Amino acid sequence: MIETPTRENRILAAPVVIFLLAMLGFPAVLDLIYSVSTVSFENLRAPELSGFGNYRAVLADDEFWSAVSFSTRFGLLTAALETALGLFLAVFLAPLIQKRFWLMAVLMMPMIIAPSLMGLMYRLVLHEFVGPLPYYLYEWFRLSPSFLSPKSAFTTLVVIETLQWTPFTLLLFYTAYTAIPGDIREAAQVDGTRGWRLFTHIELPMLLPTLVVAFGIRFIDGFRVFDNIYVLIGSGAGGSSTSLSIYIYTAFFKAADIGKALAASVLLFAVAFGALWLVGRLLKRRAKT
Amino acid sequence: MTCKTLWGKYLLGAAMSGALTLTGLTASAEVTVLGWPGGPEETALRAAAEAYNAKSDVADDNKVDLLFFSRDGFFDKLAADLAAGTDAFDVNLIATYSIGRYAPFMEPIDLGADATDVFGEAVLSTMQFEGQQYGVPTDLSLHFMYYRDDLIAELLSDDAAKARYAEIAQEYLGTALEPKAPDDWTWEDWAATALYFTEAVNPDSPTRYGTVLQMKNLLFNMMIFQSLPRAYGADWMDADGNITVDSDAYRTGLEMYRMLLDAGATPRDSLSYEYAEANAAFGSGRVATMVQWNAAAGDLMNAETNPVVADVTKTVAPPSGPEGRFTHVHGLGLGINKAAPNKAGAEAFLQWLATPEAMQAYATAGGAPGLSGAALDAVADARPDLVPLGSYASQYGYVMNGATSGSALTVYELQAKAFTGYWGDVQSLDEALSEAETGMADLLK
Repeated sequence: MIETPTRENRILAAPVVIFLLAMLGFPAVLDLIYSVSTVSFENLRAPELSGFGNYRAVLADDEFWSAVSFSTRFGLLTAALETALGLFLAVFLAPLIQKRFWLMAVLMMPMIIAPSLMGLMYRLVLHEFVGPLPYYLYEWFRLSPSFLSPKSAFTTLVVIETLQWTPFTLLLFYTAYTAIPGDIREAAQVDGTRGWRLFTHIELPMLLPTLVVAFGIRFIDGFRVFDNIYVLIGSGAGGSSTSLSIYIYTAFFKAADIGKALAASVLLFAVAFGALWLVGRLLKRRAKT
Repeated sequence: MTCKTLWGKYLLGAAMSGALTLTGLTASAEVTVLGWPGGPEETALRAAAEAYNAKSDVADDNKVDLLFFSRDGFFDKLAADLAAGTDAFDVNLIATYSIGRYAPFMEPIDLGADATDVFGEAVLSTMQFEGQQYGVPTDLSLHFMYYRDDLIAELLSDDAAKARYAEIAQEYLGTALEPKAPDDWTWEDWAATALYFTEAVNPDSPTRYGTVLQMKNLLFNMMIFQSLPRAYGADWMDADGNITVDSDAYRTGLEMYRMLLDAGATPRDSLSYEYAEANAAFGSGRVATMVQWNAAAGDLMNAETNPVVADVTKTVAPPSGPEGRFTHVHGLGLGINKAAPNKAGAEAFLQWLATPEAMQAYATAGGAPGLSGAALDAVADARPDLVPLGSYASQYGYVMNGATSGSALTVYELQAKAFTGYWGDVQSLDEALSEAETGMADLLK
């Protein structure tokens, strides 16, 4: 049995731990202090402790819950669409990509663009007077749809997010799909399993861990969405496109309600940490069994 | 060479370079001015500072040195700096809508009696808070009514068009109005004109839209909108400090915008439009009128950038209402930091900046000061666009009661959310006004 060199591990890990404490721990502590303080840009250096009033204000704020609802719906829907599309494209295009791998570079391109630039790009693309999409819709069909009105903005944003990030799930699924050992497929085919049955009974179960990871990563990314939405339509008419990140940003920079913004961010952190801890526990339990 | 020797050399070098830097600073940066970066304001300020430093009667220890940093979060960074008592600059930028936030950390300034002749009372008031002058108004922003002169001329000369116009006005506004010249428009005349030039309302319209409204949830769009309710008597607060936003005047303005959106007189995506989108729409030639910032005039009337509309675009002051004719006005300016190391030098520079000589240098280098009298005459040939700026500001300029308070920007943000909620059918008019009133009462108490 190999003994764990605990002391050496601690020494080796110390620089990373110190770095993390300095870079993440200090702001986190500061956030905690500000979240229980009456603080503005004018008294950043001398916040007045005021208890949990900011937390009560956040929890009693309808806009906070509306933002939570927006982020959750946005995160779930985009994660589901990106995962399904990525899986379909990976399986469908795998033979082609295997022969011409440069295609993968082309497919990855949307992912390389910064989300804020993506928002800016669609601000132009969807603009009725300079954008190609409204131009041809009007020229060909006499249609001038409203892409960014409160009623259609959510759908437009979901489509934009899905178009940008499906390449990410495609990459994950393609890697996992091509990593399935060929002899497993051959054995299944010898037993007469082909096509859809081969996919659902052999390949898909083997892709399941990747599917969970892809969905999880995309949900987290979709839930914390900020840049592209903010650049495209801000917080929307009447705050109708306020994600949780935009809520925190608006409370901090626009309303100068720093305590409330940080209380919301601490709540977000607590929920995210709780979810991660839960997933970690589940994975550990599964590994044991 | 040992480590110790290397460190010694390094420390000696660093100390020498630090000493040289400090010496350099003390020799040149006697009055440090924090300006608005990255636009014509920066270019103009550089020109003015250069002219000031070249004056023979300015002592070496009162020469001006300029300081610029990013526009991102500028006002928040400035608020934090001022509150911390920074002495990194003697003079700093202020804006009309944020004077109240900075006033506790700044010194009032006496610009002298001549400043009224240079700028006029209305323009000077954009830099005042609680009756005291806090800065020199270096740049002015207000609104113009942009319109297509060719289309209006055609409408005014065609009897059949006039009859159709009256029908449309009767149907949408309840009164059979007659077309008028833009300088005589009331807000209702403008609305009727916008409807007449809308394809969805009048299939024979030469333009697809009668106007383009900036309805995005953005504080600057509220500044554009408020000239309309103001013409009907709107204000944020009465003399006793009661919030008066839930008024007939605001209702009239909000409902007019909503009616134009619902009628298709402005693009359906107007709820995501701001300055750039509106300019693009107007510049396409498919829009007949637009209320927009004066800053757009140069671009829209430039045949190289907007060949379709440049030659046929004209401007007037925004329309009038029962209570008069108004344009929102705000300014950027420069004032004195309370913790300034060289207050006397800073005051001398700002007093010079408020003279015709300084403003001429500033305006010809690209700045947009609101000038009057001889100061305006001196730059009128080089900057014809500044002529209406000064006169509109003095005749029609207004600042809402409370709009220079420390919470003014937040009030605009609040109104933007509430009012766009009504325009976007996210909430009712009553809910929007109630939300604005409750929030404003909290912010302006």
